[in-house]
Amino acid sequence: MHIKKEAICGTLESNDLLVKVVPFGGLQVSISSEVMRQFGARIREVVDETLKQMNVSQGKIVIEDKGALDCAIRARVQAAVLRGCECEELDWSVL
Amino acid sequence: MDEELEIETLDPREDVRGAAEVKELLRASGLDVETDIQVFVVARNQRRIVACAGLAEDVVKCVAIAAEHRGSLLALKLMNEIHHLAMKRGQSHLFLYTKPCNVTLFEGCGFHKLVEVLGNACLMENTPVGIKDYCDSLKAFRQPGRRIGCVVLNANPFTLGHLHLVRQALRKCDWLHVFVVAEDASAISYADRLDLVRAGLAGIKRLTVHGGSRYLISKATFPSYFIKDACVVEACSTAIDLLMFRRYIAPALGITHRFIGNEPFCRLTRKYNEDMFEWLENVSEEGQLVHVVEIPRLEVAGRAVSAGEVRRLLARGDFVTMASLVPPTTLACLRAKYRFRAQPQADCRASEIIEVE
Repeated sequence: MHIKKEAICGTLESNDLLVKVVPFGGLQVSISSEVMRQFGARIREVVDETLKQMNVSQGKIVIEDKGALDCAIRARVQAAVLRGCECEELDWSVL
Repeated sequence: MDEELEIETLDPREDVRGAAEVKELLRASGLDVETDIQVFVVARNQRRIVACAGLAEDVVKCVAIAAEHRGSLLALKLMNEIHHLAMKRGQSHLFLYTKPCNVTLFEGCGFHKLVEVLGNACLMENTPVGIKDYCDSLKAFRQPGRRIGCVVLNANPFTLGHLHLVRQALRKCDWLHVFVVAEDASAISYADRLDLVRAGLAGIKRLTVHGGSRYLISKATFPSYFIKDACVVEACSTAIDLLMFRRYIAPALGITHRFIGNEPFCRLTRKYNEDMFEWLENVSEEGQLVHVVEIPRLEVAGRAVSAGEVRRLLARGDFVTMASLVPPTTLACLRAKYRFRAQPQADCRASEIIEVE
């Protein structure tokens, strides 16, 4: 999947995260987090996993995390990507 | 207290009462309302506005929170709303102006610092990689040489004066990077200005023509340049733009010299030129030191060539006189596309040329 248009998902509230996706030649992920030192590696893992599951190969993914749980991270990334890819039909088994 | 807060948007042109309340709140925080703000996000507590954040296209400014509400998470709520509102209006890449003391607060809201005018103002953007990606894209155009020059043109439209400036600059450096201001706020469209610069400089060796960006003379880095009715130019209004150039653009391309045409006509451009010496050559500032070289304007029939004059001739339809001031490519384009469109402009500023008129 390629990010075709800019899209945003989530909030900056505690325990949530804001995900922005932008069209881009390669795949670039940048993460800022309140809890980078403790959980930075784990957040990265969840994001990468989610993108891989969805087959995202192109796009710029910018994440501003406020200490969200894994499930929230996954859900927000999925929603932002689906919006950015203008995806109409969902393959729920992948998600 | 949070439960009582309502977040809503406010159009300062329609809601006069709300706008007055916002103005009062800003004044209490030592801020002025800027005229280019299209929409405010406000937080109300029992219908009283206790916090606001303004959006002017892709620039967030005039952010204030009433003293008794500071320290809550109100800033996050405001910025959250601004992000979503801007997205709806087609802007995902945002810039933000604030005082240096509030940088940490906005870092918590997804903004990253670009430059600071010491103790005065800070420019931030809402991505950790925006300026880095831009500089990386510029690095592909690096050229070898000891003296690498740069000129920034609005070229509204491209004249023989611009050609003269480029030729003179090339005599003083090994390679020249020519940037065209990308903001579409001028009489001649950006696409046409860029085409005319490329056409006018075609065949000249040792130079690269670059399109502009949000990071170089744009409404984000230099808002007052594009605000038509702002007669007063504040002391630091040019500094942010010049520091961006010095800290990011010049190092990315290895620029050592910036060339400017002297400015006999426009007060704001003259101020920008003067400030350039201060912000680019001052040794105590961060970033690469860039020498500023002022080049006297080309004169035709005893008068300095200016794009403003060309636009006045265009408004009068006087293509005969114009032919002595612009290259054939510019003349042909103006004849074909702008003949009946140009409006005479009273003030010299808003849509004016930067380095050379």
